[in-house]
Amino acid sequence: MKDDYLWDKTGEPDPQIQQLEEILGTLRYQPKPLEIPEDLPVSRRKNYFPWLAIAAALLIAILAGGIWLSTRSRNEAPERQAEVTPQAPAPVEEKSPLPAESKTPERKPDSRKEVIAVNRHRPKVATPVLSKHEREEALMAKEQVMVALRLTTEKLSLVHKKTQNTNPANQIRNQHRVG
Amino acid sequence: MKTTFKTSLISLLLIITTAFVAKAQDTRIQLGSLDHLAAKASETVDVNVDERLMKLAARVFSDKDEDQRQIKKLIEGLKGIYVKSFEFETEGQFGAADLEPIRAQLRGAGWTRMVNVVSKKEGNLEVYLQFAGEMINGLAVLHTDDKELTVVNIVGPVDLDKLAQLEGQMGIPDLGIESTKSKKKTNEQ
Repeated sequence: MKDDYLWDKTGEPDPQIQQLEEILGTLRYQPKPLEIPEDLPVSRRKNYFPWLAIAAALLIAILAGGIWLSTRSRNEAPERQAEVTPQAPAPVEEKSPLPAESKTPERKPDSRKEVIAVNRHRPKVATPVLSKHEREEALMAKEQVMVALRLTTEKLSLVHKKTQNTNPANQIRNQHRVG
Repeated sequence: MKTTFKTSLISLLLIITTAFVAKAQDTRIQLGSLDHLAAKASETVDVNVDERLMKLAARVFSDKDEDQRQIKKLIEGLKGIYVKSFEFETEGQFGAADLEPIRAQLRGAGWTRMVNVVSKKEGNLEVYLQFAGEMINGLAVLHTDDKELTVVNIVGPVDLDKLAQLEGQMGIPDLGIESTKSKKKTNEQ
């Protein structure tokens, strides 16, 4: 028996296969357009990328600001600490009949506590002293600023004088024009 | 992918706009176009004090002297002072074309002409201000006479009250302007 019909539908058909074909033929694929029911709930996927990008940028900015502030305060804040060293009470000096000259000069006993201020970090000098060259430059700039200010105020003074000396008659005429 | 591209494009546009706005806020006027007049002038004043020099100059003003302290206060916030002033022996040494590059700059970038005085005797005087909100962010004065041309440009927050307080100090002429603070005081009295 040839099995050609089973493989490529050539040759003599097998009635059993034909019967099977008829039974299973009802389940054969039939091309038709996809129909989506209208009442099917559709969930739209939200795109969070722009919001994530903005949040990341803000986070980076806050982090950078925090680091900058911490380094700045570390550099600026001088650590000052007062150390209090309690001193042992001085022994009571016994009065001796020896003359004062024979005694070696001794530090007067002081029962007060000694306070020593310790500068752990020297604070940065806010305004460093100008070098000779910088000072010369600064003095020249100062002269220039003074010349510029003199000229500016001179011109503004002239403007002021001119605007104050406007003819009152003209002002009245202008008021009429406006009104 | 499309959204990423859109976000990048918007960011780029924002950066470009910010740059343009920053550029527009720059109140410095380029005065280089007037340099050729120095050869014709009998007297030239050229002041170029940028922000660095301004800070340096502020440090040599004494805090002990009241006059100097006031000037120091005035210039501390400034970003520059630029002046070009020419005096000529004869008339007609400069024309409108020489001033056009300056006027072109003053027409744009947020400048407002506050005062324009036309006088046969004193020449033309124009005062321009640039505002940043309610604050004055720049001042320009343009004075043209038959034999004189002066352009003053102050860059940065100009306090006219403080400028008025300098009247009559250290050779600075009396403006005759009453400061707003003193006005307030007199009103209260």
